[in-house]
Amino acid sequence: MSQEVEKYSKPTRILHWVHLVSFCILFLTGLVLFIPQLGFLAQDSVTRVIHRIGAVVFIIAPLIYIPMNWQATKRGIKEAFSWGASDIGWLKAAPRYYFSGDEKDMPPQGSMNTGQRLWWLIVLVSGAIFTITGLIMWFAKTSAPAAVLQWMVFIHDVAFILAGTMLLLHIYLGLFHPLMNEAWKAIYKGNISAEYAKKHHAKWYEEVAKSKEVKS
Amino acid sequence: MAKAILYDTTKCTACRACQVACKGWNELPAEVTTNRGTYENPADLSPTTWLKMKFREIEPGGKVRWLFTRRSCMHCTDAGCVKVCPSKALYHHELGFVAYNKDLCTGCGYCIEACPFDVPRSDRNLLTGIAKMDKCTLCTTPGLDRIAEGWEPACVKTCPTNALQYDDRDKLVAEGRKRVDSLRDAGWANANLYGENELGGLHVMYVLDDHPSVYELPVNPQISAATVAWQDAIQPLGWAVGGLTVLGLGLNYMVARANINREKEKKDVAGS
Repeated sequence: MSQEVEKYSKPTRILHWVHLVSFCILFLTGLVLFIPQLGFLAQDSVTRVIHRIGAVVFIIAPLIYIPMNWQATKRGIKEAFSWGASDIGWLKAAPRYYFSGDEKDMPPQGSMNTGQRLWWLIVLVSGAIFTITGLIMWFAKTSAPAAVLQWMVFIHDVAFILAGTMLLLHIYLGLFHPLMNEAWKAIYKGNISAEYAKKHHAKWYEEVAKSKEVKS
Repeated sequence: MAKAILYDTTKCTACRACQVACKGWNELPAEVTTNRGTYENPADLSPTTWLKMKFREIEPGGKVRWLFTRRSCMHCTDAGCVKVCPSKALYHHELGFVAYNKDLCTGCGYCIEACPFDVPRSDRNLLTGIAKMDKCTLCTTPGLDRIAEGWEPACVKTCPTNALQYDDRDKLVAEGRKRVDSLRDAGWANANLYGENELGGLHVMYVLDDHPSVYELPVNPQISAATVAWQDAIQPLGWAVGGLTVLGLGLNYMVARANINREKEKKDVAGS
């Protein structure tokens, strides 16, 4: 029972939190532009300047992480793009599991389950879209044709709707869902109990157990 | 009752008194410019130049024509700038103009990109993004509001040839049509009243003696597809998706907690 396994390394956890905070800043300062009643907050460009500061952190944090954690990055990218038949089984069984706790149809999962990998893929893709469209709107504002800038805003907003709503789901599952009681621990302290790992990430736990990295 | 400005190109001498009156009334500083070999000056609209006369030379059939056009806000009914302004700094005045509360401007520049007439201007710090838009407010700028006083806009007031008139829009449409008719009678077959129906009706209309393209005015101007897709499709969709997500998560929390507590109780009962 007291056995614990490392789920996320320290650099990964730091990147997660730095990125989350910067994204929340970007989320809120961007949302202001959708709510005319909050327009006064954006007066004199205040929230737009904060949005740019958030953007710098959002872009630079992974750029620092990647060369320092090249192996983990490679593994992560690979995972985001490896999909199989078991993922469809997971998606089918997931609603029953998340609503009623019935796990008998849930296929065993790796270090990230299908839902987590879906979110991870959205983070990668939307992150790239935010960065490219954002940089164009920032630095080509006076030089790019008006139509290009307008479509950049449009694409930026589509990415925002996708990533923003999925972030709500992510925060909900991490903090509030009754079954995900160690997700918070995994990303805050780095370790989860062997029991939780077996139950939620069976495939991954087997690998870890085999390579004898289980700490007691 | 909507009001409007009627600009008659055929009466305009391009004296540019309107440009000067606009600067004077709105307390806009002059700009240092260089001689570009034309009377047209300054070269473009700017945050401190809300109105300028455009000069154009053409040679139809070897005969030189010197054309003058007003370059300023057209005060559209279907205004792209009002549609995209996220803080409602741009809004429709009760008399139909596109009025502007500069205090609320966030400097996002969306209006600049959305304007079919390329009118709004701003000075922008490219690094910080800090900016403030400026454009003609049809003399409704708070503190400098001539319209509220029942006066004509400064440009109209100063016009020595009555090329500019300010009145009820209906009256000016009738007046403009009359002018177009008399121009046609005089042999200007393409004479037209620009702005009567464009973008839901402009609140600055032009009497032209030739096709709008001759004056380099956009023929059949439209709100861009990107503006429509963004404002009328994606933003409502975003609110719907966001709202449903929050609702779904709340529902999931209540159902899952109830179910899982029930399971636990069952186990506890079985275990005891």
